[in-house]
Amino acid sequence: MAVPSSSDSWIGASVLRKEDARHLLGHGAFIADLRMPGVQDVAFVRSDMAHAQVHRVLPPPGTAGKVFTLADIGPLNILEAGPELAAHRHSPYPALADDRVRYVGQPIVACMQPTRAQAEDLADLVELELEALPAVVDAVAAMRPGSPRVFDNWPDNAYIASAVHEGDPVSLGAAPVRLRRQFRMNRQATVSLECRGVLAYWDHRNDELVVHLSTQGGHVVRIGMAQALGLPENKVRIIAPDVGGGFGGKNRIMPEDIAVAAIAMKVGHPVRWIEDRREHLLASVHARDHFYDLTVSVAKDGTLLGLEGDIYIDAGAYSLWPTGSFMEASMASRNLTGPYRIKHLGLKTFTVATNKAPMGPYRGVARPGACFAIERLVDEVARELGREPFDLRRQNIVTAAELPFRTAAGMRLDTGDYVSSLDIARDMVDLPAIRARQAQGEPDGRAIGVGFAFYTEQSGHGTVEWVKRKSRVVPGYESANARMLPDGSVIIHVGTQNFGQGHETTFAQIAAHELHISPALISIRYGDTATSPFGFGSFGSRSIVFGGGAVARSCRMLIEKIQKIGAHLLQSDVASTTIEDGAVHGPNGSVGFAEIAYAANARQEHLPAGMEPLLDATGTYEPTETGGVFAYGTHAVVVAVEPDTGVVEILDYAVSEDCGTMINPMIVDGQVQGGIAQGIGTALYEEIPYDEIGQPLATTFADYMVPCAPEIPTVRMAHIVHPAQATEYGVKGLGEGGAIAPPAAIANAVSDAFRSIGASFNETPLTPRRVSEAVDRARRATATPTPGAPA
Amino acid sequence: MTAITVELNGVKVNDDVEPRQSLADFLRDRCGLTATHLGCEHGACGACTVVVDGLATRSCLTLAVMADGRAVSTLEGLRADPLMTLLRRHFHESHALQCGFCTPGMLITARDILQRYVHPNAELVRHELSGQICRCTGYANIVKAIVAAGQDIPHEPPAPEPAPEA
Repeated sequence: MAVPSSSDSWIGASVLRKEDARHLLGHGAFIADLRMPGVQDVAFVRSDMAHAQVHRVLPPPGTAGKVFTLADIGPLNILEAGPELAAHRHSPYPALADDRVRYVGQPIVACMQPTRAQAEDLADLVELELEALPAVVDAVAAMRPGSPRVFDNWPDNAYIASAVHEGDPVSLGAAPVRLRRQFRMNRQATVSLECRGVLAYWDHRNDELVVHLSTQGGHVVRIGMAQALGLPENKVRIIAPDVGGGFGGKNRIMPEDIAVAAIAMKVGHPVRWIEDRREHLLASVHARDHFYDLTVSVAKDGTLLGLEGDIYIDAGAYSLWPTGSFMEASMASRNLTGPYRIKHLGLKTFTVATNKAPMGPYRGVARPGACFAIERLVDEVARELGREPFDLRRQNIVTAAELPFRTAAGMRLDTGDYVSSLDIARDMVDLPAIRARQAQGEPDGRAIGVGFAFYTEQSGHGTVEWVKRKSRVVPGYESANARMLPDGSVIIHVGTQNFGQGHETTFAQIAAHELHISPALISIRYGDTATSPFGFGSFGSRSIVFGGGAVARSCRMLIEKIQKIGAHLLQSDVASTTIEDGAVHGPNGSVGFAEIAYAANARQEHLPAGMEPLLDATGTYEPTETGGVFAYGTHAVVVAVEPDTGVVEILDYAVSEDCGTMINPMIVDGQVQGGIAQGIGTALYEEIPYDEIGQPLATTFADYMVPCAPEIPTVRMAHIVHPAQATEYGVKGLGEGGAIAPPAAIANAVSDAFRSIGASFNETPLTPRRVSEAVDRARRATATPTPGAPA
Repeated sequence: MTAITVELNGVKVNDDVEPRQSLADFLRDRCGLTATHLGCEHGACGACTVVVDGLATRSCLTLAVMADGRAVSTLEGLRADPLMTLLRRHFHESHALQCGFCTPGMLITARDILQRYVHPNAELVRHELSGQICRCTGYANIVKAIVAAGQDIPHEPPAPEPAPEA
């Protein structure tokens, strides 16, 4: 681990972002902003049935070459998606439907016209003959004998069933306290504000297919795109322009991407598809949709002993390339013990196919569900034992002295102080003051509750972890190419993809630290397979660990050569020189990087004998511990709930978190606040319900509630810094953490508000209806009403 | 097709448009002004907000023909606007944007708020932003930037109320 020197000012500085200027002037270039002469727009005809046989597609007469079915855009290769496990069943997902559709929104026909409006007109004229088949809409029911099948040739509806068996779960039957609870985190969309989009054309000059794509990782897309189209990879160039948010939803190859690229290879002009919001909610990546049926066993003194039960993941109709959704079940079960010394696990997991849109990753992947389940269980146990939930949490959590700690599910929690994190969060919301306030009651009749949730966030996980997950692509490293130009300025190409995280700024800070120059002299470039070395893109809280590490390594390769050239120009030994402020200093004087870089690039006669010209280095990086480093934190939230309407207001939200060394604290704070806003969306607002025949019931922002400024509080933050030992500078990833704990913390707070009547809130989102109905049920179930008291 | 005349960012533009074409599509596709973003096309997210005759307006819910004879300003046309310049500085300094997709609509709405309120506080700004979706920032820094920009605007003491008519 390289430790930043105390004189350094770039690591840990809240440098304002390089990305801002273009967006503030309206000069961002998102996929729909690209202007390409001759481009035509595609609109898709999509299935309006959840499960159906496609008997016939009837385009209007005279539209040949404008209306495309699967047969018209082929032949295409089907990508095998999901983990490399024989037990994981294959779910062939064609770019346009073959003779079967398996979810509402699945693309069947592509219609192309000069404008999107005209393409939609044409799509309206295409007639489909579909025969409805029984739909599978509930993951638990789908696993019962006799359920209809999503895939005829599967023996049941599970993509894969698996089990986690650690310790001695059989011993748990004798535990003094055993509580069984069910938890549901409902389905939602990822909702980047910019929807997806693709623009493709054949570039005749380079003789290659160019695909502009709003994506989180173009290099990996190129692998799959080339396979699907049957092209060698040197004939496929993927370019990501400005990407308007991703959050996981732009980290898979989607059928529309392949269909548009295939059409572009058939026609002589650029073709594009810009997803609209309805399509996004219908047919982009869906997420969450976990169901837990768990029994927790506890000793009399409150020690958590073990967990048993079933986890169901409703993964939708197809596996998305490359990874499918198997990670959901494995991550949910492996993160279920959270930070606790739970020793025994007996879990079964089911990743289930249903007639819904395919599941993909979304900020936090699986951990929001796991955190919701375990942190709600802790509060339920505390209630059963008559304990303060905070105290029970503190009793069972791993202490700093126990770290590194291997959890029962095999996660290696590395550095930190979890107890301090709890205590800081407790003090930030002033737990005793809230208990006193609750005792007094509220003048407006609302109920006040406080909830805590602790999360861990595995980040920077490399080869070991991804091989364990049987991933088809193993993102075990990241890459960077650093070039110093003749005037001493620097361009660094990276394989990660910025979509709001501020890589242009933070990576420039890292490079500035290593090169001893200002970030103003450093440009960070990404998003074009033609210019950057291979990399895996941005997801899984990996960019600062891997991408930052690769930037550091490539810059160190440059600086070593810079110093040698500088020493040579100064006619000194390398050992007698130092580097500071963009110059090499020796006993005989100093030489600036501009002079050194000019020699290296344009005047090689000034270089030491035998030295190769250029200042151009490509470095790769993987942390020394590849199972991941764990950021963590405690969320503490205070709510006021109107019992009759079920409306929840957040009065206070505090976080104490540790993401190791912060490269740019301003950006860290922004990620925490933004992640929590999405977590609050999951907790209280966002849901795509399906009816019993598989029709989605939230397909516009009128039905799908995205929280706005009045719903999201300004989060109060405390940062604890325990640097990771396995990464450059001690960083840990933190992009996802904010989104993990809010559902658990808020549900605990709402449950706390109604603990006197025993109401529990175990399903997200906690909509007014769900809350008021749970309160009503609890009121009916509790003791005889006191005269004069509110019922 | 319908002939329209729009004073677009201070310049008169004559064009023939389909009656069904939205103002947003007209601005983006006919006029090449891509600062105006489309996040939902049903009036819920506010990314497409522009100024029509001085009022913040959703260009996805406005037809191009409805802009006939009106003055329309997009973010491109407010490059030199002093209030927008102030807001841009505060958005930058407060880290009020991440991916940048909502930013043009946020800026136009923020300018509208500061034109209507003197030194608005955070609560008022939050309320006024209730029709704008940002998926990245969690809003806190946007609110902070607008409040801070408001504080930076010198305001004359309000003129005395005219005497009520008898």
